[in-house]
Amino acid sequence: MTTGTLPAEAGTTVPAVAARRPGLLAALRFETLKLRAQLRAKCLLIGAILVPIAVVVVVHSQPRPPKDTLFGRFATENGFAMALLVLGFATQWVLPLLTAIVAGDMFASEDQHGTWKTVLTRSTSRSTMFWAKTAVAIAFALVALTLLAASTIASSWLIVGHQPLTGLSGQTIAARSALELVSASWAVMALPIVGFTCLALLFSVWSRSAAVGIAAPVVLGLVMQLVGALGGIETLRPFLLSTPFEAWHGLLAAPRFTGPLLDAVVTSAGWSVVCLTAAFLILRRRDITGG
Amino acid sequence: MRRFVITVVAALAVVVAVSGAVLAGTGGGSSVTRARLERSLPTEFARLYADQAGLLGHRGVTPASLQARAMCDKGGAVEPDVGPGSNWICLVSWTDPNVPMPPEGYGKFEVDVHSNGCFTAGGPSKLVGFQTITDRRGREVTNRLLRPERRQHTDRQ
Repeated sequence: MTTGTLPAEAGTTVPAVAARRPGLLAALRFETLKLRAQLRAKCLLIGAILVPIAVVVVVHSQPRPPKDTLFGRFATENGFAMALLVLGFATQWVLPLLTAIVAGDMFASEDQHGTWKTVLTRSTSRSTMFWAKTAVAIAFALVALTLLAASTIASSWLIVGHQPLTGLSGQTIAARSALELVSASWAVMALPIVGFTCLALLFSVWSRSAAVGIAAPVVLGLVMQLVGALGGIETLRPFLLSTPFEAWHGLLAAPRFTGPLLDAVVTSAGWSVVCLTAAFLILRRRDITGG
Repeated sequence: MRRFVITVVAALAVVVAVSGAVLAGTGGGSSVTRARLERSLPTEFARLYADQAGLLGHRGVTPASLQARAMCDKGGAVEPDVGPGSNWICLVSWTDPNVPMPPEGYGKFEVDVHSNGCFTAGGPSKLVGFQTITDRRGREVTNRLLRPERRQHTDRQ
């Protein structure tokens, strides 16, 4: 009698426990909720909309165009050139910073608040948590990039105008295809920004400190730009995560060239996979007993 | 602390090893070459020049009719003509029936080439003019030819 009931009891309780353990969707929803509650995430998104407008207005009112910058010469009289000028500036450190502020804090905030033990023992597994946080960080980076791009292109279009653009080979690009090319140029930035998000996640997991998670990717990005600008070691350029930020140049040349775009896909994917794998292994092997 | 130091040192060692292997494997070749510059600078210059001629009201000037040609050199005879740098010199010649060329038949452009393939070319002002020009309708417009700003030259050919 008793032997007959025991397996039946075990059979009913085990799936019940498994069903109560939330899956990836619940973890995703919870991470999104945590992000939406953060003041800095909201400020970042609002800033991504408002700051480009201010930049466009200020640069447009300059009596002399910033002629030593790419597309700077025509920036005050051509909206597309203005949008590309802002893009060139954003790739220097704004885009890495934009994503690192959220991604660099993603794992480190659990350390800061001492919530790892609570979350992992009662709610979810390490790998579910990891993928939920990664997905939310990447989604945030893409949303921020989209807002920044839309705001820049729209404000340049409205404030400066939409005359035909002079491209990178001296060719004239009609307004309609110029708009497509400028949008495509901004869209290409999704590749390196995902790479930088993964880099920030790695630093966040590894250092357990939000400061390192936010600052290290930006500093590394600047170092990579410096290395990429040096002569003599140009063969290193395709391996740097800062090089995909220049992949859009080929879209605006007259015989259009897409080699750098392919390089950008490979480089960004490579960095993302390596960083995520390292972060995942570190998190899996971490001894979480302290806080 | 010791673990942190070991990690940093190991990471640095890996980076140095990988960079060394890459440099050794590829021979340190540069994508900035004389042939590419001589191909892309005249193309770009001719397009801008024809554009500007249209603004000035000069007729019959097309990128093809200019027959622009460039001869480039980096750092004189002592340096190989390859790699980025601000010491590229290009002698550009073209034919425009409206504007006669100087007796030597070319304009000397100082070209600053960056490692990503972008370059800035500064020409002599007696040939390319001042910051702004007056177009045929009397408006002041930006001079297209003064220091044609950084342009990417085709890096896949």
